[in-house]
Amino acid sequence: MSAVDQSHIRNFSIIAHIDHGKSTLADRILQITGAVSDREMREQVLDSMDLERERGITIKAQAVRVFYEASDGETYQLNLIDTPGHVDFCYEVSRSLAACEGALLVVDASQGIEAQTLANVYLAIEGDLELIPVLNKIDLPAADPELHGRAVADLIGGDPDDVLRISAKTGEGITEVLEAIVERIPPPAGDPDAPPRALIFDSVYDQYRGVVAFVRVVDGEFKKGDRLLAMQTKREVNAEEVGVMSPTMLPTESLRAGESGYMVTGLKAVGDLKVGDTLTAAKAPAETALAGYREVKPMVFCGLFPVDSDDYPDLRDALEKLSLNDASLVWEPETSQALGFGFRCGFLGLLHMDIIRERLEREYDLELLTTTPNVEYEVTTTAMEQLPVRSPVDMPPPTNIESIREPYVRCTILVPQDGVGAVMQLCQERRGSYVTMMPIEQRQQIVYDLPLAEIVTDFYDQLKSRTRGYASLDYELVGYRESPLVKLDILLSGDPVDALSMIVHKDMAFSRGKALVERLRETIPRQMFEVPIQAAIGGRIVARETVKAKRKDVLAKCYGGDISRKRKLLERQKEGKKRMKQVGSVEVPQEAFLSVLTLNTDDSKGK
Amino acid sequence: MSSAGHLYLHTPFCGSRCGYCAFTVEVGVLDRRDAYTDALLAELAVEGERMGTLRTIYVGGGTPSLMGPERIARLLDALRPRCADDVEISMEANPETVDERSLAAYREAGITRVSLGVQSFQAGMLRVLDRQAGPEQAVAAVDAARGAGFESISVDLMFGVPGQTDELLDADLARALEMGVDHISWYELEIKPRTALERAGAALPDEDWAADAYERIVGSLEGAGYRWYETANFARPGHECRHSLGYWSADDYVGLGVGAVSTVNGRRWRNHAGVDAYIGTLSSGVPPTRSVEHLDEPTRRRERWMLALRRDEPMDMRWAGPPDHPEALERLVEGGLIDVDADHIALTRRGRFVQNAILRQLMEYA
Repeated sequence: MSAVDQSHIRNFSIIAHIDHGKSTLADRILQITGAVSDREMREQVLDSMDLERERGITIKAQAVRVFYEASDGETYQLNLIDTPGHVDFCYEVSRSLAACEGALLVVDASQGIEAQTLANVYLAIEGDLELIPVLNKIDLPAADPELHGRAVADLIGGDPDDVLRISAKTGEGITEVLEAIVERIPPPAGDPDAPPRALIFDSVYDQYRGVVAFVRVVDGEFKKGDRLLAMQTKREVNAEEVGVMSPTMLPTESLRAGESGYMVTGLKAVGDLKVGDTLTAAKAPAETALAGYREVKPMVFCGLFPVDSDDYPDLRDALEKLSLNDASLVWEPETSQALGFGFRCGFLGLLHMDIIRERLEREYDLELLTTTPNVEYEVTTTAMEQLPVRSPVDMPPPTNIESIREPYVRCTILVPQDGVGAVMQLCQERRGSYVTMMPIEQRQQIVYDLPLAEIVTDFYDQLKSRTRGYASLDYELVGYRESPLVKLDILLSGDPVDALSMIVHKDMAFSRGKALVERLRETIPRQMFEVPIQAAIGGRIVARETVKAKRKDVLAKCYGGDISRKRKLLERQKEGKKRMKQVGSVEVPQEAFLSVLTLNTDDSKGK
Repeated sequence: MSSAGHLYLHTPFCGSRCGYCAFTVEVGVLDRRDAYTDALLAELAVEGERMGTLRTIYVGGGTPSLMGPERIARLLDALRPRCADDVEISMEANPETVDERSLAAYREAGITRVSLGVQSFQAGMLRVLDRQAGPEQAVAAVDAARGAGFESISVDLMFGVPGQTDELLDADLARALEMGVDHISWYELEIKPRTALERAGAALPDEDWAADAYERIVGSLEGAGYRWYETANFARPGHECRHSLGYWSADDYVGLGVGAVSTVNGRRWRNHAGVDAYIGTLSSGVPPTRSVEHLDEPTRRRERWMLALRRDEPMDMRWAGPPDHPEALERLVEGGLIDVDADHIALTRRGRFVQNAILRQLMEYA
């Protein structure tokens, strides 16, 4: 493959809200430029995991190279750098954008801009990227390209006439998109003769080759066999192979300034190579690393326990395997009196948590119990010690606590005018403090500071249901604030169940406790014995409910003709029991451990 | 035991299918009755060696009383040489299909015990269940059976029928006691897949109502001198169904006929459904097609627990084999659900109402 002059390279990504057609457009571009034959064409080539396809989101960013012969007669190398499409992966998005000179801003012509898009647009503008606005799905009857075109132009400070109108589904307007990429996005500006520098914007673990880093070369040139230095982690690795995604791995001689591609490192876990780090030559390193590197810290924690305790080693193996490919997943062993041996895991956010849990259950065939998600609290003890607390179990007794600080996030919510009241009410219920509000398009952008702990339960679901699905949400961490928090304990048959404990604001403790025991009463099936359910704060019972004893549980009849069938019925019931967790003498269904999650829905009822 | 002492004969013919019925029954093929009788006798000839001296025979269905006394007599005549002197021979009958004359003929043919499928004495309940007989026919059938000289008369009744109120249940209880039958099987209605009731979206009563009803039935019948000798069965002393007790003692048994199940020496087989196929294969002396299941020792042990704990008598754990989870025994004893005395275990009165839950604590069933 002949080397392309830097002036004929375009690195770009696609910014879009979930379902606004990013993947379809990417597929179309691959198809039109011949990178993928029609026969090879699968739906959404870039999303390699089933899970992603099902959820219609992209988790792992990748860079695909295509060649395009533009109307000026020249052939251009286009590197499409895919970005993750969710709030949890904001840092990864920012690194992917940093690898580009421009981005396509894809907006659904019938739905307009969403909060997520907005956040990424701001990231792109901060990164000085050339934005090409694209209205997709203009073939839909509900499309309103006039309205949304103006709004998009307003947002990025452009001319409504420059907004492209396409249908990725039918293929209409795709050529215009490719022309715009060539015309409007500047070529890379790096110095091909300087000491080499490359930005790592993603990495994956391949079981045969080790960690494969996806990089954008900024300066200089990287060749196969080069000894590399990761400037932030100071780790040296070999470039065992360099190449480009076309769209599958295609080895090349070298990767040069302006190009995007991959490097095979042979490292054993993606955590060994940090996204945002700068690769340079170990022998003659560049002086300064590329800007923007940040250590990614988990924000949300929960306990994962195997339903069948025999699966514990399998769960550990699975977490190890997932960690190979996911540097932001952290975990450590945790022992729960109620749930036995498991792991406390840290995630970037709720979606990240859901994805990991689903992958563990689906790909590794594990049945898991998940405890209520938590944030990391900073506790100052009366001895003036600082204590990070990631689980209610680790919360010191109230008498030993001087103060507790909790993480706050700044939430940006976009909602149509008639949903403003509902959103503000929800934010108030969740201890939010109002920051600002401004109109965007025909909607309101509402900004609140909220405790992250209030978001990690069912905030998003509530937001959606209270605005009939119209609100969209983005958030970023703004720091820790002191709050009057208490630990709420739940007792089943008189024994505290650690996995059901939660940390709540003291003003909400009573109503949450009451709501939780009610929910548990509904969730826990009748047992052979009566089960008292109590909520307690620091030893004081604040609410109580009782699950009545089961009064009748027999097989109505059993004769010679149906002994096998009845035996199998008992087996099935036993299977059902396996989905329960034996907590002391009480069988607790898995949903019970999640009922804490949806508790907040009751708050509004109670008020 | 090397050969079975219990025989079940299945007669699949019915006049119509009841709303709750998921059994192997055939409607509208009464013309096959003679050929079917021949086939049963042919299967008997093939399977004869599996039986020892028969202590009980049970003719079930379907509606056995649609077979008519002559065909039943043919069958029992063929079986007579195999029977013990005190053999119990039960037959199910639907009230609308019998009168005193036919019942006398069945008794003449050798039937010792008749079980009438009454289900309810309330017209409304019978309609919900799609039963053919009305309440008067049910009463008449009991009288006829008595008139025909049967010394052991049983009726089947149901609770938990959609629309059944406390009053309707009490009325059935009062009528059953007034009839003074010797034996009552009182089942909770199950809504099974592919039944008319299921298709109609019928709802079962709530757990507390059903528990109340069940307790009231047990209490009333015991108060009237019936022995609650099995989960759903009540008998005046000496009138327990010995055939059913065989099942609940995990005895071996042979079943003949379409859909019939046999269990002998750890091997269980079920004849496939389909009257014509059954008749067809047996007409050339070939056993009907079957599904076979081999019961290993753990499975047999778990079945013994499942079956024997339905009875009111303590179960000998040396006979049944140990529970899978002996550690649960103590908790169940403390909770007042079982009594354990050396090698014997018995469910307490409260325990008998929650037998499944107890079994799931003690046994693996996996």
